[in-house]
This record gives sequence, structure tokens and C-alpha cells, in this order.
Amino acid sequence: MQIDWWTLALQTINLLVLVWILGRFLFRPIAKTIEERQAAAARVVEDARLAREQAEAAEQQARREAAAAATARGAMLEEAAEQAKQEKERLLAEARDEAARLRQQGRAEIERMRKTEAEKFGSKASELAVDIARHLFMRLPDSARIDGFVEGLAKAIADLPDNVRAELGAHGAPVALKAARSLTPEEETSCRRAIVDALGRDIGIDIQIDPELIAGLEIEAPHAEVRNNFRADLDRIAQELSREGSDA
Amino acid sequence: MTESPLVLEPLFRVGPVPITAPVVTTWAIMAATTLFVLFLRTRLSASPGKLQTAAELVTGAIEHQIGEVVEGDVTPYRALIGTIFLFILVANWTSLVPGIEPPTAHLETDAALALIVLAATIWFGIRANGLGGYLKTFAQPSWVMIPLNIVEQITRSFSLIVRLFGNIMSGVFVIGIILSLAGLFVPIPLMALELLTGAVQAYIFAILACVFIGAAVSGEPGESATPTRERDSA
Repeated sequence: MQIDWWTLALQTINLLVLVWILGRFLFRPIAKTIEERQAAAARVVEDARLAREQAEAAEQQARREAAAAATARGAMLEEAAEQAKQEKERLLAEARDEAARLRQQGRAEIERMRKTEAEKFGSKASELAVDIARHLFMRLPDSARIDGFVEGLAKAIADLPDNVRAELGAHGAPVALKAARSLTPEEETSCRRAIVDALGRDIGIDIQIDPELIAGLEIEAPHAEVRNNFRADLDRIAQELSREGSDA
Repeated sequence: MTESPLVLEPLFRVGPVPITAPVVTTWAIMAATTLFVLFLRTRLSASPGKLQTAAELVTGAIEHQIGEVVEGDVTPYRALIGTIFLFILVANWTSLVPGIEPPTAHLETDAALALIVLAATIWFGIRANGLGGYLKTFAQPSWVMIPLNIVEQITRSFSLIVRLFGNIMSGVFVIGIILSLAGLFVPIPLMALELLTGAVQAYIFAILACVFIGAAVSGEPGESATPTRERDSA
């Protein structure tokens, strides 16, 4: 058995060189490539896991938001329904109030028109009554249109309050005595005597003629008025009729 | 092939250095391997092709086998064990090329391989355990075993040499003898068998180198170191 030591040394060197070559240019690059691919795969897996977690989180968030939106929508619907109900009730109340107001207004208008018509009818009735009374009194004797009212005039003057009575004809001012027609001297005298007797003193009297009185007498003073004539009676009756018609 | 396989005749000389056939063949293998590796390196990408996939498969298998035997990171041993396996495999299969003798059919190449394994065992053992720790492994289980452990270190290296040399050299011889006695196509089955033998021997040599290095790294003496998988299953 013979060993070629040169060959042994050269082969040893050759093998060491080959170890370096393969380690440097084969195993290390391939191992690095494998590691990079594994790292890339791990990154992809990690990215996929993160993406899945993000997707799951987004899905849960979307679910929560959807639930919140549904809750908010329900609350809004309830609130809208409540508002609609309140608005409806308010509109109904307003409509009822408006109807009541219109009804009341209608009633008042009807009442006013009725009163107006009643007053109008009353006025016409009064005028008619006055015409009737005037025509009837025209058929009476002229003396009846004065004589029957002298005593009443005196009584009315006597019934006046003292201070009013004292003012009549005071300071020399004459008292206006209106008559339905011109007075005869006897009638004038009768009237003067009745007034003086009622006042208890003598005053100036200015006789005036007013056919509107129809029948009777009337005294006018700055602070008093004494009416004892048919016109006054008819006016009072007409007022009473009108008042009664309004009250009805 | 009639000359003795134990005698190498120089093909030429470079100064005083005789260049023999195994050296030239090894250079050719180195050149082809280097060109292939450089070509493969330019084709490496994140989306591997068939060639890169095959290279990654071989690299992964080698790392896996190392990891089965050696504890810890396999990166420091990957280049050595991978080169031993690939070189022996390619060298054994060069017998298929007419007129070429496998370098492993000569004792010097096998001795160089065993020498490198022995040196790597010592180097990795000292690096892992320190010089004192590594030397203490020779005294296990007791100091009485020191001579036996030293002898074992030498004899197991010789066993590596003789196992590889005997298998490959015998195959080459048998094929040569049959080729000289029988027809041209008669040795073909034996050549196919030689392919298998060459692959098995490359695997055995690489695995035994792993076992020796693993034993030195783990602080266990001799060849009694058991692969991790066997230890785990025990």
C-alpha cells in the first residue's frame, strides 16, 4: 500500500476549496432564498391575518353602526310619530277652537243682525204707531191736546229734585215751554199758573210751538227737561218695545 | 483496468508536484460544479424554476439530515456536509463516463475526505466545548477510556477511508474485469448497481461525518453518539 502524499495534499486542498465554493455560491444563496421566501410567505400570512382581523373588526363596526342606526331610526320614527300625534292634536284643537270661534262669531253676527232687524222693525213699528197715534189725536178736539197735559206737567215739575227745580227760571232766564199747537190765552194762562204753582215762584216762560209733540207740553231748561206729551210717551213706548225685542 | 489501484502514476508534473488522474478528475468536477453553481446563482429568484427547486430540495434535505443528527443550528455544518455528500456522489458517478476513474476509487481522495472530517470534528468540538471540554470528552466515561477514545478517533477515520475506498474501488474493478471478459453491454446492470452504491456510500459518508461532528459538539465520546431522532424515540 502506497500513499501519494502530493495527491493527498492536493485533494485535501481541492476539497477545502470546493467546500468554500459550494458554501459560498450554492448553499448560502439557496438558504438565503429559502429564508426570504419563507419570510415573504410569513409576511403574506401575517398580512392576511391582519387583513382578516381588520375585516372582522370592520364588519363588527358595521354591525354596531347598523344596530345603532336601526335604534336611532326607531327612536326617530317614534319621535316623529309622537310629534305627528301632538301636531294632529294641536291642529284638531285649533280647528275646534276656530270652529267654536266661527260658530260664536256667527251666533254674535246673527244676534247682531237680529237685533238690528228688531230695532229696525221696532223703529218702523214706532213710526207706524206714532203715525197712527197722530192721526187718531188729530181727530180729537184741539183742547184735548193741551188741557189733558197741564196737570201732568205740573206734577212732573213738582217731582223734580229741589235743586233742579230751583235752577228752572233762575237768574231771570225764561223757561221754554213747547206746545203741540199754538195756545189759546186761556190755555197759556192755565199753563203759567200750573208752572208757577208747581215751582212756588214766578218765572219767565217762552212759549214755543212744536207739532212733533202731537199732543201735550214740554219744558226745556239748561239743566232740566220735563216732557209731558204724546211724542215723549210714544218715544218711551218705542224704546221699551225695542228693548224688549232685544231682550227676546 | 489492470494496473493496481493502490499505485498512482502522475499524468504530468507541475514543478516537483506530480499531478495524478484523481486530482485532474477532481479539478474537472470542481470546474463543472463551480460553473453549474454560478449558473444556478444567476437564476435564483423568489419564484423558483425546476432547477432551483431541485437545488432547494437537495439543500433542504441535507439540512434536514444534519438537523436529525446534530443539535442546534445546522448552518455551520451545512457547507461541509453538503459538499462531502455532493462531491462523493458526483465523484462516484464519474465511473459512468468512459475512461474516467472515480477519484474516490483512490485512497488519497478518501483519505483527504476523512482527514477533513477528522479536522472538522476536532474544530467543531473545541468550538462548542472549548479545548478543555473537548479533551475531557476523551476521559468519558472514565480516564481509563482515554487511549481507547484516541484510538477510536483514528480508527473511525480509517473506517471511513476504507469503507468508501473498498466499495468504489471494488465496483470499478468488477466492472473493469467483466468488461474485459464479456461483451460491451454486459456490465450495464453492474453499472446501474454502481450508481446505487455510489449514492449510498455518499450518504453513509456524509451521515457518519455528521454523527462524528454531532458527538464532538454534544460532548459525547466516540461513535456512541446517537442521532437526535433515535434519542428522542428512546
